[in-house]
Amino acid sequence: MLRNRNFFAMVESPLLGRGRGETSSPFLRELHRMTSRRIYIGAAVVLPLFLIGFMATIFGSGQMEHIPVGVVDADNTSASREVVRSVSAVPTLDVRHHYADDMAARAAVQRKEIYGYLSIPSNFEADMVRGNGVTLNYYYHYALLAVGGEVMSAFEQALLPVRMAPIVVEAVTLGATEEGIETFLLPMTSDDHALYNPSLNYSVYLTLPIFYIMFQILVLLVTLYAIGIEGKEGTGRAWLEAADGNILRAVMGKLLPYTVLFVAEALLANVVFFRFVNIPFAGDMGLFSLLCVLFVIATQSVAVLLYALLPVLSFVISIVSMVGSLGATLSGLTFPLPAMSPIVQYAALLFPVRHFTVAMQQMVYFDGGFTSCYLSLAVLCLFPLIALLLLPRLRRILIRRRYDTLE
Amino acid sequence: MIRWSDLPLCLRVAWREMRAIGHSYSVLLVLVGGVLVYGLLYNYTYAPNVVHDVPVAVVDYSCSSLSRQYVRWLDATPEAAVTYEVSDMDAAKQLMTQGEVFGILYLPDDFETLFYEGRQAIYPFYASTDAFLNYESLEKANLQVMEAMDGEYRTQLLPLLSLQGLAAVATQSPVTVVGTALYNPTEGYGIYLIPSVLMIIIFQTLMMLVAMMTGSECRERRLRPYARLHRNRWSIALSLVWGKSLTYGVLYAVFAFFLTGLLPLFFDIPHAASGISLVVLMVPYILSTSFLGLALSRWYTDPEAPILLIAFFSIGLIFLSGVSFPLELMPWYWRAVHCIIPAAPALLAYVKLSAMEASLCDVFPELMALCVQMVLYGVWAVYAYRLRGLSPSS
Repeated sequence: MLRNRNFFAMVESPLLGRGRGETSSPFLRELHRMTSRRIYIGAAVVLPLFLIGFMATIFGSGQMEHIPVGVVDADNTSASREVVRSVSAVPTLDVRHHYADDMAARAAVQRKEIYGYLSIPSNFEADMVRGNGVTLNYYYHYALLAVGGEVMSAFEQALLPVRMAPIVVEAVTLGATEEGIETFLLPMTSDDHALYNPSLNYSVYLTLPIFYIMFQILVLLVTLYAIGIEGKEGTGRAWLEAADGNILRAVMGKLLPYTVLFVAEALLANVVFFRFVNIPFAGDMGLFSLLCVLFVIATQSVAVLLYALLPVLSFVISIVSMVGSLGATLSGLTFPLPAMSPIVQYAALLFPVRHFTVAMQQMVYFDGGFTSCYLSLAVLCLFPLIALLLLPRLRRILIRRRYDTLE
Repeated sequence: MIRWSDLPLCLRVAWREMRAIGHSYSVLLVLVGGVLVYGLLYNYTYAPNVVHDVPVAVVDYSCSSLSRQYVRWLDATPEAAVTYEVSDMDAAKQLMTQGEVFGILYLPDDFETLFYEGRQAIYPFYASTDAFLNYESLEKANLQVMEAMDGEYRTQLLPLLSLQGLAAVATQSPVTVVGTALYNPTEGYGIYLIPSVLMIIIFQTLMMLVAMMTGSECRERRLRPYARLHRNRWSIALSLVWGKSLTYGVLYAVFAFFLTGLLPLFFDIPHAASGISLVVLMVPYILSTSFLGLALSRWYTDPEAPILLIAFFSIGLIFLSGVSFPLELMPWYWRAVHCIIPAAPALLAYVKLSAMEASLCDVFPELMALCVQMVLYGVWAVYAYRLRGLSPSS
């Protein structure tokens, strides 16, 4: 009977002006709190939707094409123009400018107008015809490593046929077959395959993992804020009372609305990325959805755990806001984790996002099923269990309120 | 003897702000934790700098001296390490799926036969793209080995070459193609990323600091005494913004010195920027960031909520700055956003100054962008403060 009355009190409270915490269901109480403050809507709904849009559009087509480069042609002969043409023919590069000398080209790189340039020496054609060795130099911007790497491989690809051209042309002129001389020059030829992402598309590479890395920062912070603000505003006891003093019920009731919201957003992101951004995914969509659910729950558990360890909202939120972005490093997405020091490798295991990335890559790249990623899934299940162990401590914190005044 | 009330208002504001920072543990935590620990931690995690000995599995059906030589040389490259020699492709694929190897070299059974018959021996090399750095290392290593092997064994094929071919080989020489990496002598990843991260740390922690200070100021209504002063509201707002920015500027002068002056020396990341050019860059950067934070503070009602938003944007800022994916290839609206956030042009300018040995002239566009931001955000911040706590009714 008592519970019923409280329930109606909550439902009518916006009209009657009743205070929060009069309901006996922490879930409904949290729904009420969520809708009463802008920050929850902003951080739990608007930002994730913004993030989906951001990640879906930031890489443009995802392809590194038409990167501006320059050419210094000191020779200005048909042979040198032929070389320039073969460089322009590569889709990655866009020959935007011709410079008079290396100094000018170098200054343009300095200003970041171009990301690299090819330098053709004077007497290029004459030396080539005479059989003197000639050298073609190209330079690429490696302070910006990602673009620089692409420019380098594009130059290599464009200049590969040029390397042996003098010998081939001479031999063919003398009457040898082109195939015969090419076989002699390149008797062993590697046939390179970039697996899973043959066009080296940045969108395919980064969109999905970076979305989840940024998403986990939000999940961590929103969860911490939702719990921590109770301590800070001294409503911790009211929260606990709403759950009849049962801390497990209190925490689960509080976090459930967010779990539902975050999972829905993750699933929406998957639909957007796999359907509209055309990120290839051949694995089991159901399993991937399960992974997303576990990831959200594990991340929320980490937030609960951290708050139980350091129950001062302003402290823990500023620590987590920094630790959260470490997830990008520790997921091993850009700089491979095995190349880092062992301490960092072990530390990465403490982050749910690392396990998520491992399992996700298994599914997205290798079409892996349950057997290939069960270990990561199992570890993700461990995080909530560890958080459970700290719930009694959280209950004591809420009752004793020893840390509420710290700032 | 100078009395407290004789001091200009902005100095009094600055002093109060400094005291408030000193009395708040959470703000100190952000400053010490964010600037010192984070700065050191990032340098430590990326200290290995280059990817080397990326594991490769070899499927050698040829089992010939030629194929063995190839495998030995591939193993000898700094980039690749042959960690498994397996008997079939399935086993190699399995290893790749388990993440044990990132590349597979497949040498078919006719590898050596084709070679000595004077036909082209084509063999596949597979590399996984789940980390682009691994892929690039392996591709480079394999290309080098291929060229070295071709150069070494080509002479054995001379008897098979036609007379015309021999004449061509004797009289002509191939074009040498040399690629040079500019501004990153070790070709390292840390050298590329860390300068950007350091600048993001300055932006993020300063925005957090402003948010925490103004948020608690709003909650505790610390602006009330100023509203009671008998002075022009605009001049009070101006003093508040200047006074606060003065405090933040002094603090961040020290932190910027630590992050962009000392850390690069310790960890051997690029530090070509001269002291003067760093100062010229940092003054508009720190001030425009501080003004932006103060302008936004109109909407901050408690110290924690804004941190949620600021922390969230930190990784996005790296992308927006154009150091990883080139700005030119982004849609126009993200390029527009790039121009209005102080961190993006400042980061580019810092990379240019420290890694590319650029002079101040070379970073003129970025400096101009920062100065325009500084002025606009400054005006906005004063306006926001005029509206915030200083309306006559409050």
